[in-house]
Amino acid sequence: MPAELKTVGKAELRKDAWDKVTGRAAYVDDLPREGVLVGAVVRSPHHHARIVAIETAAARNVPGVVAVLTAADVPGSKTFGPLVQDQPALAFDVVRHMGEPVALVIAQSKEAARHGVAAVQVTYEPLPAVHDPVAALEPDAPRVHSGGNLLTRYEISEGDVATGLAAADVVIEATFTVPRISPAYMEPESSMARWNDDGTLTVWVSSQKPFEDRHAIAGVLGLPEDAVQVCSAVIGGAFGGKEDSGLPVLAALGAWATRGTVRLINNRHESFLAHPKRHPARLHYTLGATREGELIALKAVVHLDTGAYASYGPAVGGLLTEMLAGAYRIPHVQVETNVVYTHSPFSGAMRGFGSPQAHFAIESMMDMLAHELSLDPLELRRKNALRPGDRLLTRVTLDRTAESLPLILDHLAAARARLAQKPPAPGRVAGVGIALGMQSMGLGYRVPDDSTNRLALAPDGSVLLYIGSPDLGQGLATAAEQIAAEALGLPYDAVRTVDVDTSVSPNGGVTCASRMTYLIGNSVMLAAQGLIAALLDYAARTLNVPRDALRYEAGAVITAAGERVALGEFASRAADEGVPLVAEATFSFPYPEETTPKHLPIGMPHVMLVFGGQAVRVEVDPELGTVTVTDVVAVHDVGQVVNRAGVEGQIEGAVAMGIGYALYESMRLKADGQWVDSFTEYLLPTAEDMPQIESVILEIPEASGPYGVKGVGEMGLVPTAPAIANAVFQATGVRAQAIPIAPEVIARPLGG
Amino acid sequence: MKPITVTLTVNGQTRTITTLPNKTLLYALREDLGLTGVKDACGGEGECGACTVILDGEAVNACLVLIGQADGRSVETIEGLAQDGELHPLQCAFVETGAVQCGFCTPGAILAAKALLDRDPSPTDDAIREALSGNLCRCTGYSKMIAAVRRAAEEMSHAR
Repeated sequence: MPAELKTVGKAELRKDAWDKVTGRAAYVDDLPREGVLVGAVVRSPHHHARIVAIETAAARNVPGVVAVLTAADVPGSKTFGPLVQDQPALAFDVVRHMGEPVALVIAQSKEAARHGVAAVQVTYEPLPAVHDPVAALEPDAPRVHSGGNLLTRYEISEGDVATGLAAADVVIEATFTVPRISPAYMEPESSMARWNDDGTLTVWVSSQKPFEDRHAIAGVLGLPEDAVQVCSAVIGGAFGGKEDSGLPVLAALGAWATRGTVRLINNRHESFLAHPKRHPARLHYTLGATREGELIALKAVVHLDTGAYASYGPAVGGLLTEMLAGAYRIPHVQVETNVVYTHSPFSGAMRGFGSPQAHFAIESMMDMLAHELSLDPLELRRKNALRPGDRLLTRVTLDRTAESLPLILDHLAAARARLAQKPPAPGRVAGVGIALGMQSMGLGYRVPDDSTNRLALAPDGSVLLYIGSPDLGQGLATAAEQIAAEALGLPYDAVRTVDVDTSVSPNGGVTCASRMTYLIGNSVMLAAQGLIAALLDYAARTLNVPRDALRYEAGAVITAAGERVALGEFASRAADEGVPLVAEATFSFPYPEETTPKHLPIGMPHVMLVFGGQAVRVEVDPELGTVTVTDVVAVHDVGQVVNRAGVEGQIEGAVAMGIGYALYESMRLKADGQWVDSFTEYLLPTAEDMPQIESVILEIPEASGPYGVKGVGEMGLVPTAPAIANAVFQATGVRAQAIPIAPEVIARPLGG
Repeated sequence: MKPITVTLTVNGQTRTITTLPNKTLLYALREDLGLTGVKDACGGEGECGACTVILDGEAVNACLVLIGQADGRSVETIEGLAQDGELHPLQCAFVETGAVQCGFCTPGAILAAKALLDRDPSPTDDAIREALSGNLCRCTGYSKMIAAVRRAAEEMSHAR
């Protein structure tokens, strides 16, 4: 089939790139400034405190300040949240994390807004705070919410882990610690809202979920949803972190209260403190195997720090639980995941959604077991890798997708052999490590997991693609356009994406979960059939011939006589007559009845998986303990490639994120009680830190995917950090059980 | 605070603005001159490079330059890079190599690269990495950005 493809798989250039290289692309902060008020947020300086009083009179008197709003001014629901409605638009009674919004100042200028924020006097009574998810479950721990600190606990047991461990020849046990990570997209959260004369609101967002933002805004303002229009501006990256309606809600509140237009932009400190993070976690693993290296039993207990508010914490905990055993067949598994409230900035969705944490543990364990048994880590993986027909701990039966694992291991073996040949620089030691990775696609069973999209024929014969889910920068629109063009037999340039606007666009769902190219692609293929049908209906009426005398082929209607009438002719004629040639279609993520286990909590299980693996070479300075990643070979099965540069871009960007996870990034609480909340202390990988990345892209088609597409958005991150830790072990003999890997952990044992 | 009047050359044109003296070149460009291609990603701390402009031939973080310091000097921004509607080779190369994802760091990265190519028309990969090392990007992993700069340098050397 791939050989016949005309547009899918071709090196088409993304159409938004020209605006982005010329500075024309308009992100929220670039929208017109004329007459726009400036919002600024008063934030909690405490981790946990009772709000005794908020005095706003002085702030209101600051010249240029238009309004000062507190929770008392919120007309509708005081709280919002995607899964649990526990997040206040503005804090009332208590603050539960540093940086929590307490009041909103609206002013005519940034200066005035800044002065207004400084003039708001909040009296707090500080309360004890807890930041550790294990300590937070102690009976006398400070409470984050009245219902207790345990947000969710998942327990899954398959087989009999006690018997399994007893039967094992070798049992190894370890605790892993992974850090709080900022998505650190370059564009901080931003939102602008306009109150319209007709009593409606228009809100521009940098968001993964305009339709859910609309829902949250309407709830907080007590407005009907159809009074709120949410439009997607150009989005400067998201990675899960822009699945939070906090800023859109506040901008809308400001516009509603002032009957004006209000722009609200987080600075980087605010972005760190008051937007979702990757969950920090502690993972305790016990793994048993035979002397020959056959895995028998796994027991895992995990504590995830979800911070002060639930956000997507329960779902992250769910997916992490599903991923705890990694890409391995283990007959006896018992896992327990605790998602725990603390007084830390809240965690939520971030690329990988629990999988990176789980994989750091299981992929480190696999190397530790190999070392214990004096086996080759790669062969140990080969022996235990999942195979088609295997049953996961969720009782999902794996389909053909697992066929990729032996191929991935073959590529890793070759890469490892090649990389091992490279001598280290003088004074350095080198090592090569590998890790496998597994990532789900889709949201999980019994969560609405569908996408509606629309194709419309424009008068000039081009096709407008109304995707209902925003392109976050990853190139979703390009992929969708290529699929639409393929399905319609049109050139890529004939299809143009229309930005998401909830008053015009169909609801495409939240852009997340490595699912969009798959979902939108399928939906667009269905819509293409609908559009062709609508066109043929119209053509038959216009030409006054029977419908079945006509057929569609590559941008033209073919008559019974073999005459080709170009699409554009009907398009312009239909436009003149006011006849819309439009088709919309919904595609729902398949959860086959016969193979989807029903006994699990909502959002579990995920039934479609993608696999990958990476080989990483590092060089370590034994005296300083510094680690340099020199090479990464990233092997990923992505199904049919739609746009190779786009797929490589996803993998390369994800590998960079994985390097940051392994070596540099940690939003930690400092000794002075403040969070790391700036790029001065939170170190992102730079161009100088990046290795040579070779992407080996396997294209094993997914039968249910559009032209065989699978998901690629998250997978590339998953194996990177454990592969680096395994490479460091190979180089130094030091096993890092915590990331980011601290130089002193390596230097000290080596006598540096 | 009393406003000050500053005259500077922006993309070859003389511009005079009256603005507050505590304003940085970054926000003067964005707010007073409407040149929004220059971005703020780190909160004006000189950490991210999204506000990179070329000031008298050198790539600088516009967030670390007070507007008064730009008086009488020459600034190049992303909006001035295309000449007579013709994109600069760096702009073309960024599009063609897939070096653009979300695009927020793109103007700054292109200008940092331009400052490099202006002084070193055939840089080594290490020199490219160094020139881009002040420009944070979370999407691309830098590989395609580095390739784009290499490609633009080659294009420009053929054109000479």
